[in-house]
Amino acid sequence: MANEARTISKRDVAGWLAALMRRAEVIAPVAAHGGDVAFAAISSPEQVVFDFQNSLHPPKQFVLPQTDPLVVIRRNGNGIELEPVRDAHPRVIFNLRSCDARSLAFLYRMHASDLPDGAYLARAENVTLVSLACTVPCELGFCTCCDAGPFLKEGTDVQLTDLGEHLLAEPGTDKGLAMLSEAGDLFRPARPDEERRRLELEEAAKRAFGAETCHFASAMRRVSTGRVPEELWGTMSDWCLECGGCNFVCPTCYCFSVKDMKQDGSWVRCRTWDSCQYQAFTLEASGHNPRERRADRIKRRFFHKVSAQYYLRDGTVGCVGCGRCVRVCLGTTDMPAVVEAIRKGAWNG
Amino acid sequence: MDNLFLPRLARIALVRDETPDTKTFGLRFRDPVDQRDFRFLPGQFLELSVFGFGEAPFCFASSPTRPELVEVTVRRTGQLTDALHTLGPGDEVGLRGPCGNGFDLPSAQGKDLLFIGGGIGLPPLRGLIWNVLDERERFGRVTIMYGAKTPADLVYKDELQEWAARGDVELLVTVDRSNNGWTGNVGMVPTLFDKTELRPKTTLSYVCGPPVMIKFVVQDLLMRGFADDAIISTLERMMQCGVGKCNHCAIGHRYVCRDGPVFTFRQIKELVE
Amino acid sequence: MDSVLTTCPFCACGCSLYVQASNGRPTGVAPSENHPVSRGRLCARGWNAHEAPAWGDRLTRPLVRRGGRLEPTSWENALELARASLTTLIEAGKDVGVLGSARATNEENYLAVRLARGALRTGSVDSFLRATYQPLVDGIVAVANGRAPAGTLADVEASDFILVLEGDLANTHPQAAHAVIKAVKAGARLVTVGCARTQLARLAALHLPALPGERGFLVAGLVAAAVAEPEPAGSPERPLPGFEALRGSVAALPVSEQLRQVARWLAQATRAGILVGPDGGPPERLVREGTAIATLAAVTGHLGRPGSALLPLPARGNLRGACEMGVMPHLLPGTIPLTEATAGARLARVWGRAPASALGLTAAGMPGRVAGLVVHAEDVPAVAPTGQDVLEALGQTECLVVLDAFLTPTARAAHVVLPVASFAEGEGTITSLEGRVQRVRPAARPPGEARHGWRALSELSAALGLPFPYRSANDVLREIGEVVPAYAAVADGTRDEAWGTFTSPPSDDREPTLRPLAADRVVAALPAVLALEGVFDWGSDPLVSLSPTLCRDHVSRRKLYPQGLVQMSRRDADGLGVRHGWSVRLASAHGEVALPIVLCNELEPGVLLVPYAFRERVAGVLGGRSEVPVTAEKVQ
Repeated sequence: MANEARTISKRDVAGWLAALMRRAEVIAPVAAHGGDVAFAAISSPEQVVFDFQNSLHPPKQFVLPQTDPLVVIRRNGNGIELEPVRDAHPRVIFNLRSCDARSLAFLYRMHASDLPDGAYLARAENVTLVSLACTVPCELGFCTCCDAGPFLKEGTDVQLTDLGEHLLAEPGTDKGLAMLSEAGDLFRPARPDEERRRLELEEAAKRAFGAETCHFASAMRRVSTGRVPEELWGTMSDWCLECGGCNFVCPTCYCFSVKDMKQDGSWVRCRTWDSCQYQAFTLEASGHNPRERRADRIKRRFFHKVSAQYYLRDGTVGCVGCGRCVRVCLGTTDMPAVVEAIRKGAWNG
Repeated sequence: MDNLFLPRLARIALVRDETPDTKTFGLRFRDPVDQRDFRFLPGQFLELSVFGFGEAPFCFASSPTRPELVEVTVRRTGQLTDALHTLGPGDEVGLRGPCGNGFDLPSAQGKDLLFIGGGIGLPPLRGLIWNVLDERERFGRVTIMYGAKTPADLVYKDELQEWAARGDVELLVTVDRSNNGWTGNVGMVPTLFDKTELRPKTTLSYVCGPPVMIKFVVQDLLMRGFADDAIISTLERMMQCGVGKCNHCAIGHRYVCRDGPVFTFRQIKELVE
Repeated sequence: MDSVLTTCPFCACGCSLYVQASNGRPTGVAPSENHPVSRGRLCARGWNAHEAPAWGDRLTRPLVRRGGRLEPTSWENALELARASLTTLIEAGKDVGVLGSARATNEENYLAVRLARGALRTGSVDSFLRATYQPLVDGIVAVANGRAPAGTLADVEASDFILVLEGDLANTHPQAAHAVIKAVKAGARLVTVGCARTQLARLAALHLPALPGERGFLVAGLVAAAVAEPEPAGSPERPLPGFEALRGSVAALPVSEQLRQVARWLAQATRAGILVGPDGGPPERLVREGTAIATLAAVTGHLGRPGSALLPLPARGNLRGACEMGVMPHLLPGTIPLTEATAGARLARVWGRAPASALGLTAAGMPGRVAGLVVHAEDVPAVAPTGQDVLEALGQTECLVVLDAFLTPTARAAHVVLPVASFAEGEGTITSLEGRVQRVRPAARPPGEARHGWRALSELSAALGLPFPYRSANDVLREIGEVVPAYAAVADGTRDEAWGTFTSPPSDDREPTLRPLAADRVVAALPAVLALEGVFDWGSDPLVSLSPTLCRDHVSRRKLYPQGLVQMSRRDADGLGVRHGWSVRLASAHGEVALPIVLCNELEPGVLLVPYAFRERVAGVLGGRSEVPVTAEKVQ
């Protein structure tokens, strides 16, 4: 749909956002406290931030909240009554970065495959993604190593590119195309020089990201065939404080538990984020725990992320190179550091 | 699209004490259509909701050949099972499932069958055993071996007598520690192997029980000439969703709740932690 | 979904996080990338901080005891019942007391002191965890002339030498452990001291084993090594006052080559970070330990040096704040002596009533001794050194008034229960281990009839005859600024953009004052030493035990070891011929007990540790001490 590219003047973006807000909850990066940037439902177009690297907390929380109600359980005169929660509220996630758009496509595939997860899909199918391509590399990202940026070829409904005075908007899906068409006069067809400029920006961005920094392929060979020495996992585990932060900010992590929350005399059965790095994640009722040692849990995390077995199942590594785990790690066992250690067979802190 | 996590409502129809900490619950769906249309295989499991406490996975202890009640046998090990044990006939629970793969009975047709249960590991076999006994002519010799810590820890005591009384089943029971009044075998389950004639080439063995019992039984069976494919077991893991999403029960890229819980020993050997 | 920036309620590192709420309930946590302490990093507790308020069993109505049962009532009735009972006890000349808490805000702790010394006219106001922190601080301050604690976790991260007196920092203060890990990765030299080779010890250049209770003794040895150097690099140019007396006092201590090495590293360091984990034992010994630590920093030139840090770590959240608010039986708000006239006059002016200046009972002394007890946001058996056993003494209280968000065992034993806001619902400030005063903000409303803690405490005071002028938590903070000198600058709005305000210690340019050290040798060579592991059990804290995600490990261990457990090194176990899970009988001069063992590779041989959560099990063997020599034998 590249030939459908359109352009909007930055002066008109507020009007476009206002139109979107009339039909959907618009979620976009906004300024939070003291320089923090966070995705939030906006109440006015002016809140939206364009000049940012990325938010530390990924927008996945809007399709997969940390506490996600699934079933309302009520007691009435005849006994128990169950009501499935279906959140099909229309939402637009605006200005999300390429890596995050990519991750939501990953999460969608995961929840749609095998036994489809209706509660997740209802929410996800009513989300329209308007991503903002990355013309400047972010500090810690390595999306070029996992084919998740800086620009996207697929996996987003509309891709925006900042051309200075204008934004170039490329529809990536029919839903995106419809969204641009509905905006009417705010957009005009992109001129050839604008499309050229966009390609130049993509090339420049790729160059600016530089050489590959996170070598998944060679790590995958070792992880998939069990050729990572056990002592290496053990050594690395002393540099992990098992906070679970890597899982929670990872835009492709989705492990969860299910439990009942009491609410005004009834209960809500919720899916809640869980972390495979927590000791109790595999703790059985008998007290037996197959992954009691932290080393085994780190090994598990990286098997799920970079093994060929999961690559074949999911069609990609479980990483979009956003670099959030580098920022959030309470120890030093982030994705690039561990991939490097696996590749070299040695850990240097 | 269906909400994967929505249980169907059921009522407890009967409660039977098995041991001081174990009860069997007979469940019937509240909606007769649910009850009529419910299909499952022995070895599959269901997610049982105790409302307010969440849900937990339990193997079917009953046979699909006896569809009037769905039965589960539950030992008290935590909050949810404690709460379940306080419930009685008429109380409501939720059921989700069936989950998992189940035992492959068609391929067992014509074979001799050896069931080996330890402690609270008998319930998943019980469903399979009744299924086999209800279609007795399809199978060869049937041998049941069962061991528990003490005589008081034996579940399904009435049925053990019923099986013992049948001419077409060989039943061997043992306890780790005897106490007054026990006249049967004393010793770990593998000590039963010498009390009967095993035919490893024509027999499929089904082993369920605590991990350490499975370990010793499997070692022994292999030593006595059972092939990896002829040893079938169920794996226990921490489970939450039961539908292959939550990752608690993952072993390598396999999921006990979807790819299992029934695995042959060959498959178990191939699982990479 | 609303998102509100607040301060983490768990340990004292002072991380910031956003609490998200939906339909009036906390639903999630997001990190703050730019917060100077957390910088986007949280520990497992922080990441699940929203859970307990949302999932825990919440108090939504005041409760009063009628015929042995707690029954709902109105606020008016509950307050009146509390007033009548407490007044009757006071008029009968009986003792009453107030317990503040490291789980409560500065405002609430200040109001607890005001309730005690103002309304109830008693000096018995304290918190249980104070005894694990304040004596160390007292010892440090005595040497440092008030300039303590000093430095920040950022200083620690930028240090080239770090000394960690454990605690198991990775569990107790994860963000502090992170600072250490980052420094080690950047090349800093780490030395750990303790009776277990914990996670940080495994990253250390050197681990100095110390028996339980002998941390101070080991540090005194380091001082001896440092002052024995002919001309230690980095030491002050002129000998500090008291130097010769100090040197004399440590001259007889044995100094190993390892101690000499560590003292040299410390003296040569450009920036040194010293982290002092919480410690148990008699207060006098902890004061001496604090003195030794500050002396070590002084003689190696790091005390007061910009970039060097000396940080005692409060065992829980706002323990430092609670102490500075005056939740102590022997000091007034601002850690001012009871007898200081100007401070007393200032409080009298602000309260409209002179504060009771009597030395009161300590927290541990109150249960069973006081007839009336007001407990704010504290579950007594969770923090009392006697554990569950304290409930019996607590049951003798004639009037127990409990203010809490949760129906804790303490609340269950109460005569009057006042429901208050929990974390994510309350407002106020808390003070981190660095002395950073930060806001806690509400992301959700307190459930039902629960009120803000500051308001409930104020109303209780008013019922007892001391009215209050506050209309918000910030009004209370302004008043704190008037009576606690270090908080004078805190109560203006600028702190928000600056991520909190540091309390200003009284300015003091005097040099450190060295004193002779008295070194505590706790136990001579004996078969084994039995001690408790740590001084606080997170598993019994309501914000952990009521979080479905966080409580799992603790619940599981309690289920697996209902009788408790003792941790033992493999060498000791082999020596006794026992394996993991087998039982041993431990006998001291005070008593004996049989416990299953858990093998612990981190432990030094000869050291037997019982997790703090199981302290009741070994109370008889310990006989009121924090460590005792024991013999151990296999239970046949």
